[in-house]
Amino acid sequence: MRPAVRLLLMLCLLPLAALAQDDPFADDDWGDDWSDDPEGLVFSGFAEGGLGTRFRSDPLIAARNTLEEIRVRVETEWQPDRITVSLKADLGYDGIADGGFAELRDLSLAFGGDRTDFRVGRQVQTWGTGDLVFLNDLFPKDFVSFFAGRDDEYLKAPGNAFRITHFADALNVDFVWTPVFEPDLYLTGERFSFFFPPAGQNIAPVPPLSALEPSTDFSNGEFALRLFKTVKGREFAAYAYHGFFKQPTALTSDLEPTFARLTSVGASLRQPAGPGLFNAEFSYYLSRDDRNGTDPFTPNSQLRLLAGYEWEAKPRFSVGLQYYLEWTQQHDELIANSPFPEFEPDEFRHLLTNRLTYRTPRDRYTWSLFTFFSPSDRDAYVRPQFTYRHSDAWSVVVGGNLFAGKRPQTFFGQLEDASNVYLRLRFAY
Amino acid sequence: MPKTLLTILIAALASPLAAETLTDADEITERANLASYYAGADGRSEVRMIITDGQGREQRRQFTVLRRNVEVLADQQFLVVFSQPSDVRGTVFLVDKHVDRDDDRWLYLPGLDLVKRISAGDKRTSFVGAHYFYEDVSGRPHTEDTHELIETTDEYYVVRHVPKDPQSVEFVSYTTWIDRETLLPMKIEYTNAAGDIYRRVEVAKVETIGGHPTVALSRVSDLLTGGRTDMQFRFIKYDVGIPESVFTERSLRAPPRDWLKRPSD
Repeated sequence: MRPAVRLLLMLCLLPLAALAQDDPFADDDWGDDWSDDPEGLVFSGFAEGGLGTRFRSDPLIAARNTLEEIRVRVETEWQPDRITVSLKADLGYDGIADGGFAELRDLSLAFGGDRTDFRVGRQVQTWGTGDLVFLNDLFPKDFVSFFAGRDDEYLKAPGNAFRITHFADALNVDFVWTPVFEPDLYLTGERFSFFFPPAGQNIAPVPPLSALEPSTDFSNGEFALRLFKTVKGREFAAYAYHGFFKQPTALTSDLEPTFARLTSVGASLRQPAGPGLFNAEFSYYLSRDDRNGTDPFTPNSQLRLLAGYEWEAKPRFSVGLQYYLEWTQQHDELIANSPFPEFEPDEFRHLLTNRLTYRTPRDRYTWSLFTFFSPSDRDAYVRPQFTYRHSDAWSVVVGGNLFAGKRPQTFFGQLEDASNVYLRLRFAY
Repeated sequence: MPKTLLTILIAALASPLAAETLTDADEITERANLASYYAGADGRSEVRMIITDGQGREQRRQFTVLRRNVEVLADQQFLVVFSQPSDVRGTVFLVDKHVDRDDDRWLYLPGLDLVKRISAGDKRTSFVGAHYFYEDVSGRPHTEDTHELIETTDEYYVVRHVPKDPQSVEFVSYTTWIDRETLLPMKIEYTNAAGDIYRRVEVAKVETIGGHPTVALSRVSDLLTGGRTDMQFRFIKYDVGIPESVFTERSLRAPPRDWLKRPSD
């Protein structure tokens, strides 16, 4: 707590960069931005302090705070000849882990031919049509950052990958090979406790949970494919993935948490409809090690469905609604073989989401509310957020992560004691 | 239509040598629209804005725009790549503008590698926080209003425009001062239901680029709040031959460097 507060105060004392000008309508009063040498290296980024704290402490976690950090982002791009080298790195101090950190979000090389783009290296990747709901996007996610109160950007974790995108008249093809499996950043018990069926309650193991990752054979790499095309404003896509479940939901024969093999196929559509946008997506998750669903220590196959609609209800006020279904295949076999049938998921997990966003005319204030609600799990996750953009340099975000659930074994229910409010102050340069 | 023919047609229609005196308000408005939004078969420009709110607080935006006409006075494509301020650096906005249906719009957010589709929405709301509306930037189809020539001065055609669908806009009418020589609107004043002029767009500087008189500096003022946005255009070039393939998802993740590069001449 103390070092974080000190650092926050230091951040507040950084000098204000904005200078008022008399009458910029005179053509020569705009400063000299135009004279920037476009070939030179341009560094940008931000310095940010963040503090998040629980409403009530989690008896299993010593730290009351969920977020206590200061970070500095450095971004640049270097374009020698036909190649683009990009860099995005965070350096900082995390008061909860009580240590410094250095994270590379992007260090990649991009180059392109006539119809093909290549990108090699560490990079963040996203596809699919869901809003904070992921079906065919099996790129790594950082739920710990998301729940702790960091910027939304951190929900997507970087991975080391090769990406090839080919653009053809008939169909565009996107292929991503991640040679070494990149799991989600899952709940480990360090910052948040999590439900553990054998205990029948939440646990926070010390040392934190570290699931067994697949060996680094070629065949254990991740292969992701997207075929896509836009026809008169309608976006069609088909997807395939060969790799592993991104969360450690399986157990080895030694009862060690690990990642089960996964192959998935799916498709999506996004198009204008009425005053807004409609999207639909499905994905079939084939659990390769448990095709008949009888192994209780390996997740079952699933069919995932999503339908959404988003529109601008009033000027600068937009509304998004989604319905999402996770249908566990061979649910009877799962229940019949599970040592903890009372903690297994329902055959149908229904999830509704709602996003409300209101921006004031100069984008100075942004109010947003994102709600997840599952009528079948009887749990909910509410994310209110308020952003004040004081200037191009300074902004403040205040928000919350509020979890509620009837039962501790559901996804949001297990996080009830993680409910928190947070504040972030950012200076962009 | 072959591109060369299209170019000739536009050049003929938007000719700055409009020596004759026009008397038809529809024709004047149409030609003003051509001069403002359809110069060349395609074009590129760098743009920066200073947004000043009623309390004098400033924000800035800087971006490069690529534009391609699909059809004269009809569909167009835009690619907008932001470079300033740093929180929007790398953000790319792709627009397929249609006259017979809602525009298709995509926004690329580099932090999440997210291609976000944006619903059609109201065209008379702020463009990236500025006092300019989305419609001021991409053009208001001349078919949306009825036009009346109220005065022809030595310098201007003064045309009053009344919306055909008053429910769809915040103004009751607007008046345009169109330069008789360049056919560029040099001043636009919007009148609300109370009869007050509440919004004004003015052009402070015009440059002729590739034979096309082009706005180089303009200002929009919100007369109710006292806020304003100044917009400056530089490094403008027309008829550079930007292909249709530039206006696709490919350019969101990998902005087209060859076309975004500042022209050397």
